[in-house]
Amino acid sequence: MGRSRLRFLGRRVRRGADVMTTAVGSFFMKHRRLLVIAVPMVWLLIFFLAPFLVVFKISFSEAAMARPPYLPLTSWEDGRLLITLNLGNYQFLLEDPLYLLSLISSVQIAAVSTIFALLIGYPMAWFIARSPSRRRNILLMLVILPFWTSFLLRVYAWIGILRSTGVINNTLLALGIIDEPLVMLQTNFAVYIGIVYTYLPFMILPLYANLSRLDPALLEAAADLGAKPATTFLTVILPMSLPGIIAGSMLVFIPAIGEFVIPALLGGPDTLMIGKILWTEFFNNRDWPVASAVAMVLLAIIVLPLVRFRRARG
Amino acid sequence: MNERQSPSDMPWRNGSEPFVRIVDVSRSYGPVVAVNNVSLDIYKGELFCLLGSSGCGKTTLLRMLAGLETVSSGRIEIDGQDMAGISPWDRPTNIMFQSYALFPHMNVERNIAYGLYRDGLPRSEVTDRVADMIKLVQLSGMERRKPDQLSGGQRQRVALARSLIKRPKLLLLDEPLAALDKKLREETQFELVNIQEKLGVTFVVVTHDQEEAMTLATRIGVMRNGVIEQIAEPREIYEYPLNRFVADFIGSVNMFEGVVSETDPDRTLIRCEDADMTINVSHGVSCSPNQRLWFALRPEKPEISRHRPENADNVVEGVVEEIAYRGNLSIFRVRLKTGKQIDLTRTNQERSAEEPITWDDPVFVSWDAASGVVLTS
Repeated sequence: MGRSRLRFLGRRVRRGADVMTTAVGSFFMKHRRLLVIAVPMVWLLIFFLAPFLVVFKISFSEAAMARPPYLPLTSWEDGRLLITLNLGNYQFLLEDPLYLLSLISSVQIAAVSTIFALLIGYPMAWFIARSPSRRRNILLMLVILPFWTSFLLRVYAWIGILRSTGVINNTLLALGIIDEPLVMLQTNFAVYIGIVYTYLPFMILPLYANLSRLDPALLEAAADLGAKPATTFLTVILPMSLPGIIAGSMLVFIPAIGEFVIPALLGGPDTLMIGKILWTEFFNNRDWPVASAVAMVLLAIIVLPLVRFRRARG
Repeated sequence: MNERQSPSDMPWRNGSEPFVRIVDVSRSYGPVVAVNNVSLDIYKGELFCLLGSSGCGKTTLLRMLAGLETVSSGRIEIDGQDMAGISPWDRPTNIMFQSYALFPHMNVERNIAYGLYRDGLPRSEVTDRVADMIKLVQLSGMERRKPDQLSGGQRQRVALARSLIKRPKLLLLDEPLAALDKKLREETQFELVNIQEKLGVTFVVVTHDQEEAMTLATRIGVMRNGVIEQIAEPREIYEYPLNRFVADFIGSVNMFEGVVSETDPDRTLIRCEDADMTINVSHGVSCSPNQRLWFALRPEKPEISRHRPENADNVVEGVVEEIAYRGNLSIFRVRLKTGKQIDLTRTNQERSAEEPITWDDPVFVSWDAASGVVLTS
């Protein structure tokens, strides 16, 4: 009894001294985590959640010739607050096959581009990860270097390369390999090239981060136990780099699915992508509610699998 | 190990055909020569230790046996087969890495089974052999655990099991016990020897720990700067080192530098200035007159006494400067008049001595003419 009381007293004295000398400091110490998180939280709240809610709200309103071009959800009538949720926008998306088709087409284009980015990016990431450390930084720099030029300029450069009087066609014509210029621009082919080219670094960087941490002794162990290089790849490298593959694929697939600029500049009239539809609804048709509904559906398509994936892993 | 077999059983003594032949093997990285013209024969069923400090080339030599490192020049033969151009996955060897290199995404069972599946063995046979192996290395109940859920000792066993499961002709172990704490290391040493005897596999162990090498090995190869300094059984390495490096590297030693003043077939006198004495040695030394050489004396060989011993071949006077009590033995450091120090050990057979020798006592250190080694290099 007496001992525990003494200890209790001692603790109280010490705590008292703490409070006296560092009252302000201890507040910061206690809430340090909160303070660190607060800044990005507020940022996300203002610039992500708020616009999201605005778009979410607009998707339930009715289009109108007004400014802004939609009717408010709430109205005041005879002392009653009326909330009108217009589900017609979503219904419209189901009725007009254009939206479903362009959604499917977007998923397909994004998926194919992701696969190609993976097939090209994986060997590059592997090569960089296995390079001597001096050369590694230079190679990584080269991967990131294109970001220092305007994205639009780089897409325009592809127009110069792909068009019928472009670099490729001129070269092939001059060499006599073809008689007529190949039609490459304004096709889905050009869109694939544009997306893979633009998003390749997003595939390489997480793969590199993953592969550079792979212990080379594991590869030697596999070889020593009788695995030929291909088997080592399938049984050790591939399963161990799965997190990198998934991260890289997400980073390519998600922005690619809603891509607007690349299909607009490189794609043709047949290129159906949901980003382009969204643009048209918003700026050409000035139908903000339908455009918002499209945006919401797109978001759901991207976020729901992500949530499910996270749950499956964790 | 070497004492359990009679001399004629030892294949390196009776002219047997060596199982592994390493002939004039070198490995260089640019200007750096990691392994320099090493020749070495290893016999079937041996537990051969390559001993040396870090960077001496022992691991490089081991990795060349496994095929993980290319041979710059020279030849390696295993069981009569030239290993040149044979990939690691086609070699009859398996290696246990110092880091263990367990596959982190596979559980214990799958780690051990990995090599068998690569050979295309049917599932039922793999399961049986893995179960047997898990029993042998005492990992029952751990089958489903991933490497990061195991202790250091358990991981070491998984690594050993994985490298043994394919029944390699030659098992290579790179510092197999380095990551274990002292107690566990000592236990595991004996287990390793037991397993090796049970399976009859030829082991080549790389280690920097001379005690480990002495305990495990049938023979030891001491390496320095890419060169093998001496290959011999543990006892021979300890009692008859070939040069000062080996004498100093294995155990501790008192080194006397001197000049031969007289030598005939069964007696040599060495004039030693730094101890101000003439050392009697009971055998002849083949050397030129007045050649500078060294006399190496292990600390457990000399006697220490308060009174001048009679009939001793070598006696020298000194003062006890330091005593280190180690429980089972005590180490005395005696300073001679010339300032030279001699270390010697006494086993503490009695729990309390009548009048123990203590600090600053004047003492006599004496030793038999046959108890030291004369080294010419």
